[in-house]
Amino acid sequence: MKLATVFASAAMLVALVASWIIQDRQPKPVALTPTFTGQVEYCLTCHADLAQISTSHPVETFGCVSCHGGERLALDADLAHSTMRGGANPSDLAAVEESCGGADCHNGLAQDHRDHIQRVQTSLQTTYAGAIAQMRYTFGAQADLAAHYGVQAVETQEKTNPNTPDALLAFDPSKETAPGILKFAENCLTCHLEAEPLPGAQTYRFTGCAACHTPTPGGDPEQIVHRLTTAIPYTQCNTCHNRGNYDLRSMTFQTRSDLATDRLHDYYQPIAQFTRCEYTLDCVDCHTRQEAMGDGNIYSKKKDIQYIQCKTCHGTLAELPKTTTITDPNDLALRQAFLNPVIDLKVGDTILVTDKDEPLWNIRQLPDGAYEMIGKATGQRFTFRPVKGTACQQKVDQQESRYCHECHAVQR
Amino acid sequence: MFYYNPNPDLAALSIQTITFLVPFGGLLRSLHYWAAQLLIVTATVHLLRVIFTGAYARKRRFNYLLGILLLVVCLIFDFSGYVLRWDEGIRWALVVGTNLIRSIPLIGPTLYIMLMGGVQPGLASLLRFYAWHIFGLTIVLLIIGAWHLFRVRRDGGIAVPPPELRPDPARINRFELVRREVLAMLISGVVLVVLALIKPAPISAPIQEGLTAVDGRAPWFFLWVQQLLRWGDPFLWGVLVPLGVLAWLAVLPYLLPESKPEEAGRWFPRGNRAAQVSVTILGTAILVLTLLGLR
Repeated sequence: MKLATVFASAAMLVALVASWIIQDRQPKPVALTPTFTGQVEYCLTCHADLAQISTSHPVETFGCVSCHGGERLALDADLAHSTMRGGANPSDLAAVEESCGGADCHNGLAQDHRDHIQRVQTSLQTTYAGAIAQMRYTFGAQADLAAHYGVQAVETQEKTNPNTPDALLAFDPSKETAPGILKFAENCLTCHLEAEPLPGAQTYRFTGCAACHTPTPGGDPEQIVHRLTTAIPYTQCNTCHNRGNYDLRSMTFQTRSDLATDRLHDYYQPIAQFTRCEYTLDCVDCHTRQEAMGDGNIYSKKKDIQYIQCKTCHGTLAELPKTTTITDPNDLALRQAFLNPVIDLKVGDTILVTDKDEPLWNIRQLPDGAYEMIGKATGQRFTFRPVKGTACQQKVDQQESRYCHECHAVQR
Repeated sequence: MFYYNPNPDLAALSIQTITFLVPFGGLLRSLHYWAAQLLIVTATVHLLRVIFTGAYARKRRFNYLLGILLLVVCLIFDFSGYVLRWDEGIRWALVVGTNLIRSIPLIGPTLYIMLMGGVQPGLASLLRFYAWHIFGLTIVLLIIGAWHLFRVRRDGGIAVPPPELRPDPARINRFELVRREVLAMLISGVVLVVLALIKPAPISAPIQEGLTAVDGRAPWFFLWVQQLLRWGDPFLWGVLVPLGVLAWLAVLPYLLPESKPEEAGRWFPRGNRAAQVSVTILGTAILVLTLLGLR
């Protein structure tokens, strides 16, 4: 009896020491109280080595939980991560309103240019409405070429173009009968932002905002980085726009098997023509935010939203490109330059603007009448002169880029 | 109680604070959890021993009833403590468990409002469960528990045959009793600490509106009732049948033949065979249903 008591006491002692050691080996909680939420969170206990996502999202201000969700007090990985929005990617369009939205953030007013979420959700990159309409028209499922369906249902809140629809229904392949449409539904929806990406490195992409704003080194899906940027290199665009081609002989989509190295020969449609700037600059150097993210209207085809031409920057024989001089310190161009400080833009500078008055904030007029462009992703400086006053023989009524290509396209 | 906050918005967060941020809070919570679970197990084993040794016979019948009452109090204690987590893990069980009360004809809805403080779970319900858990039930448990122990002494200690029928009429002395109690305390203490270290008390994310509960299971001691509910009418299977089981246990000593005096405290006495058989059948049924529910 006495021996049993001694043993039991010893066992108790061991158990208590063990619990002390286990408690002692727990990581020391690292608290952070972001000024934006004012609520303490302990994510940094484990994630202290994670790089800050961008200078616009300082961790002291936003912390982790305001974007990612999750259990801010839990130090158990499973519990802490159980309520995260969009898994590792809070910008997934299913979660984006909660993660990135809010009137203080990216769900603000159109006139303040803070309505990114609404614009992206209605953009062609998300809805794929044009191709769906094309296919349904071609195979007799609808009588016109107008968009009625998107990858997901969507309603526009900022319609400015009366010729565009107010809403799209969700495209439901189970209600289609034509084999062509079914094959299209099976193969072609997955590129678009609202759809689940296909597995495999060649077709991998992020969803939501991160699809463009979180460039992975070399497009390698294994190397997920904690980064948001507006300095988007062409390689990021290529994760979707250079996956391969639809082979008309086999009627299948042939994904690229390699990672391209030579932009001129490896990229894009083999029959397309390019000028030098189209394959040496980054896509975002010319293509604007409205082109990439939409303007709030639901369009039925890419041409309705993609409007940048050679003449936007170079002008024509008759006209110089459109410019504006910055007077307001809160000008959109200055805000965009602040997000990606490759150029020391300031009040008084004259920059190019598009036909729709979108600032081309990385292209500034020089005192001698030439223009300088700073690469948004590379920081490289290029200078160019307008067409006006040169020996260009272009006809006055032929101002689209394809006419420029006739002389200026490079040999492939 | 120093950290817990009985407010639906903060309860689960305060439990996360206790579990992860308060030094030894997680260990203490797990000890509390395991002690509560093992209390149900020990109380049930104790009940089975009392029945299978025919120890409730004669003058101990009343104390047996007190014991049954204590088991019921313990079950309510456990359920109320479980609900205090107020996280996704308890949501389904809370809704289903309390809706059973609503299924009682005539008085059900009134009872439900008395228990929950409203027509659906909310601030008032959590506050009531909290008050019952730390105050109301504690008072009841202390009073009946003390009475139960007092009756053990008043009934002449634990059930044994009369001195003239025993081969060794001596009883253990009080020092030996304390020694055994200390030993039992140490052993159960070690078991609890080890269990708490190996398998910490369950925890889930706070209740989120609009989502379906992740865990659709009742706490393990009510799994058998949950399993019964699959058979149909909630009032019949969820209220009447469990109450019937309880009632049967309560009236056993009064309806069925008892063990003989010389058999008192002996395992499986001939005298109360009928009670043993009926409890074995009931116990097996509950065990099987629980195991089915665990799947």
